[in-house]
Amino acid sequence: MAKHVLSVTVNGEAAEVLVQPYETLLDALREGLGLTGPKEGCGTGDCGACTVHLDGNPVASCLMLAMQARGRSVTTIEGLGRPDALHDLQDAFVRHGVPQCGFCIPGVLMSAAALLAENPRPSNDEIRYGIAGNLCRCTGYTAMVAAIAETAAALGHEETRR
Amino acid sequence: MRRFELALPRSVDECLAILSGQGPGTKLLAGGTDLLPQLKNALLKPAHVVDLSGVAELRLIQDADGGGLRIGAAVTARTLELDERVRSRYPSLAESAALVGSVQVRNLATLGGNLCNAAPSADMAPPLLALDAEAVIAGPGGRRRVPIAPFFQGVRRTVLAANELLLELVIPATAPRSGGAYLRHTPRRELDIAVVGVASQLTMDNGRCRAARIALAAVAPVPLRATAAEQALEGQAITPALIERAGALAQQAATPISDQRGSAEFRRHLVGVLTRRTLASALARASV
Amino acid sequence: MTMKTTRDVKGVGLSIPRPDGAEKVTGRVQYVADIKPRGLLHAKLLRSPHAHARILRIDVEKARALPGVRAVLTAADVPELKRKAPTRAHAVLAIDRVMFVGHPVAAVAADDPAIAEEALDLIQVEYEILPAAVDPLESMKPGAPPVADAGTEADTSEAMAHGAVAVAKTEAKPTKAVNVSQQSKLNRGDVAAGFAASDVVIEKTYRVPMVHQGYLEPHAVLAEWDRTGSLTLWASTQGSFNTRSEVADVLEIPENRIRVIPVECGGGFGGKIRALCEPITALLARAAGRPVRYVMTRREELEAGMPAPQVIIRLKTGVKRDGTLMALEAETVLDTGAFSGTVLAVSGVFLASLYKWPSFEVRGFEVLTHKPSVAAYRAPVAPQTIFAIDSHMDQIARAIGVDAVEFRRRHLMREGDPMANGQPWQSNGAHEVLDRVAAHPLWQSRAEWAASGGVDGHGLRGTGLALGGWLGGLQPTGATVRLNPDGSLGVLTGQVDIAGTNIALAQIAASAYGIDVDKVKITTGDTDVAPVTGLSAGSKTIYTVGVAVMQAAQDARKQTLEIAAKELEASVHDLEIEDGRVVVRGAPDHSITLAQIGKKGNLYMSKVEPVLGVSHPAFSQQAPAFAAELARLEVDPETGEVTLRDFVVVQDAGKAINPLAVEGQMQGGSVQSLGMALTEGLAFDPAGRLTNPSLLDYKKLTAADLPSIETIIVEVPSPAGPFGARGVGEPPIVPAPAAIANAVADATGARITELPITPERIALALASSPAVSR
Repeated sequence: MAKHVLSVTVNGEAAEVLVQPYETLLDALREGLGLTGPKEGCGTGDCGACTVHLDGNPVASCLMLAMQARGRSVTTIEGLGRPDALHDLQDAFVRHGVPQCGFCIPGVLMSAAALLAENPRPSNDEIRYGIAGNLCRCTGYTAMVAAIAETAAALGHEETRR
Repeated sequence: MRRFELALPRSVDECLAILSGQGPGTKLLAGGTDLLPQLKNALLKPAHVVDLSGVAELRLIQDADGGGLRIGAAVTARTLELDERVRSRYPSLAESAALVGSVQVRNLATLGGNLCNAAPSADMAPPLLALDAEAVIAGPGGRRRVPIAPFFQGVRRTVLAANELLLELVIPATAPRSGGAYLRHTPRRELDIAVVGVASQLTMDNGRCRAARIALAAVAPVPLRATAAEQALEGQAITPALIERAGALAQQAATPISDQRGSAEFRRHLVGVLTRRTLASALARASV
Repeated sequence: MTMKTTRDVKGVGLSIPRPDGAEKVTGRVQYVADIKPRGLLHAKLLRSPHAHARILRIDVEKARALPGVRAVLTAADVPELKRKAPTRAHAVLAIDRVMFVGHPVAAVAADDPAIAEEALDLIQVEYEILPAAVDPLESMKPGAPPVADAGTEADTSEAMAHGAVAVAKTEAKPTKAVNVSQQSKLNRGDVAAGFAASDVVIEKTYRVPMVHQGYLEPHAVLAEWDRTGSLTLWASTQGSFNTRSEVADVLEIPENRIRVIPVECGGGFGGKIRALCEPITALLARAAGRPVRYVMTRREELEAGMPAPQVIIRLKTGVKRDGTLMALEAETVLDTGAFSGTVLAVSGVFLASLYKWPSFEVRGFEVLTHKPSVAAYRAPVAPQTIFAIDSHMDQIARAIGVDAVEFRRRHLMREGDPMANGQPWQSNGAHEVLDRVAAHPLWQSRAEWAASGGVDGHGLRGTGLALGGWLGGLQPTGATVRLNPDGSLGVLTGQVDIAGTNIALAQIAASAYGIDVDKVKITTGDTDVAPVTGLSAGSKTIYTVGVAVMQAAQDARKQTLEIAAKELEASVHDLEIEDGRVVVRGAPDHSITLAQIGKKGNLYMSKVEPVLGVSHPAFSQQAPAFAAELARLEVDPETGEVTLRDFVVVQDAGKAINPLAVEGQMQGGSVQSLGMALTEGLAFDPAGRLTNPSLLDYKKLTAADLPSIETIIVEVPSPAGPFGARGVGEPPIVPAPAAIANAVADATGARITELPITPERIALALASSPAVSR
């Protein structure tokens, strides 16, 4: 069975990777490109651990075939920030003690980042619905919501100051 | 997931040629939110899959003649949720789309996929039934239109032949003084599929109901209309007592099964509740 | 032994974020599935579709011949497998009989997971289907289809260490009920006389289905053998030493030939305390001569993981109209699946002696069925037991017209009162926790909340609370603390850090030694390197490993001061450690830096010993920890949908070493508890097949289903915990099912005694008897 060449922009850089026709985008990112940030928690779109951005929109990468991303732009958690240059959301998550086992965190952050990009002033309910597609078993979500709300408020103040 | 070959057509014609060339069992892939779980659970083991994401025509939303709307089969649920035309003209459809899965599922799931997968619980089916939508289907012989009700033939079965492709849904314009709503019951607020879903659509005229549509999901092998309930409403002033009666008639139209998502008794009970509530919403929206 | 509380330098009591936070939020932490060695093969297992069947024939030839397949194994290829598997870990590949749907029958390692799956399709198995014992109440009866291989012992050793409750008197198995693998009976006083003298007798049966621990990361293991025949396992596990011992026993190889490296674990909660995937993965790696990785699918996890047992409790109580407790009678049935593994004793203690019943008879039965066997789930059997006894106490209070809190408070045990097994209750904060939750404004305003329900378009409104806890686990352990040449500390444990315990251990070491916490590094060693350490489970990590680290740090401090005393020609008693140096009290210039001491212990020809603190304690004193939870909710009377408006957790932490981390445990544990209360349950059909093997239908709560969880930490120090700390991981999972049942009863009048309390159960209960309005 012949592989396909997937041409895709990943975290801002053009990439070409050989993929099986039956390979998911999640597997192509993890195995083909070594981006192991997105995780497989269920494989059926029911947990959100595989969430990445496709042209800026959060998607379940376990439900996409890799070739469906051809010509498009994908952002993973590795593209959100680095340990020496954390995104505001990542910094807030650390300070609020959010990560416990850590497995859901990349997916949650991608959903939260997409939420704030679309809705800079979300209500608490909107935050909760914004991450409702991401299951977490360790934290009970409370600290996540607080961290996202704080980040939104801080970004809002920056905007007002400008 | 078992191995398969993948085709990447760039047009409807190219897609139809591939479908005609390959054997039955070839699966069309739009959003993948139903197909990929089925492949991973080995419910399906196709040798060939055809990816529709390169067929741009399937993702268009266009005005139809006479004020209606044409929605391409590969338009995502998220698009329907947010599109101003859909929200203002067909709020029940926007509401149903907004309930599918989660945001990361809605950015992939398509209207066509929801209909062609033909699960009895398909959320976007009842609003389309209540809005008298039609499906436009392309095949080797050209195009044909099928009203949405007979589109569904049974659990996971539609009128589509193995060499056909669903192109778009055409929804006629609603008359003035119309209103519609969709409600469903799920145990959780996100990520669930409907235990029962109901769409109601009313057109009022001088305080009386000129047209009524009530469509039910997850209580029969196919999404269906509660025609006796509709007839009880048409021509009448809609009073709370009449809404109660319509709810009871809708319950009788339902033939739910018991499964681990809900018992038949609970589903029948919910048909009554959600019919009453969607009728009340539809009436309020029609009166604005 | 009393613990001295050292002054809180930058250590104990501080809310410090975990040091691995930045790595976790950037997706850089590695889990087993992220490790990709050269030559990696992928494993898939063929599992039985039948709950009970004889294997007549297995044909793997076509699978072996498929290109890309590197190894195929059945039991015939592994002669060292014990004929009669004594534990689930031993049930690597079915030999002649399958005992549950999901029992592995064959295993494949291939270049690619899709090829491995196709290879499974090519394996032909012929079964003779046998009658299955699925319902535990049926399985207990004489004549039920036998589950265990005749002659295997029910393995209860792990259950006892985890539960740390003295084993209740165990009766010999009656010869006819072959599937009863454990039994217990606790009694006191004259129950018949007690009931005869009672005014109000209430009898109910409470049911809780099997539930899955729900960790996001499925079981995963990577196995590789080296040329000398030694095995390395990278495992997602709660206990690397436990895994090593189990694998050694199953494969019959010495423990020293196995190295278990605990990789970051994406959640365990008791589901990863036993070996499950490691033996088969090791066998495939040996057969293929290449590294093999096995990651369970979510479907496999739900169908063939190691869930919590199904629990059925029949509870009957008698009280006088003035509220005097008279008699309690109970039967607990635990459905443990195909192998023994439950903590039966916990149930009896909480049923009969959380509140002071003067006479009681409590029987417990662990029953085998043809379903996947259980491991543990965060406070095993406690949430289900408290669901029963606390719901019941609530009902009694209502029946006699007494305040719900007052009734509990009046009868709640205190330190020294006898537990049901005769041992005295240790010091605990149950009363403090109950008082604190009763004082909460949400409880104080419950009448107004209820009165506002059912009007103005609101649903029915109610408030409920419940009290529960965990007795606290014990396991021996060890730790070392080393002074580095730059004056920093290195702490070595074998403790898998699944709950953020490493930062708390660092804080303990920092406080006990006298140094800033950012100068302390905790290393979790693998089984070749670390001191033998028990499971990260049982809420015992801080309580036991914390003590070991504290004692090792104190030992290191003692050694440091002795060296400094010689160097400074001063008395040890006059020395202090401040700001990285040892100073003579009152003479701050007379000092030596920790770095100088550290360097001296490592210089060529030096006569100064390197500072190495060591501790290897065992424990005998438990520290029970209690939590109370309060729920304020609204119920749609037509659909039964519950909106949880507010939820409060009050918990006794003894001493919160790291309050931020303790709150995280309270929030997370209570949400697991709410899942058990509202939405979760593994649903088996009469043939023993799971009908909801996906996360679509095994429903865990989302962020949109929940309010923010309010947490209140109470501190009633434990006598033996480090700085008075108690275990905090388990108590918060215990009370929510009872709290929710009590709140729903308050709102609607409907008393639901079966979990989960779904909208269907509420709606149908109300449809048959509409809510009593207030």
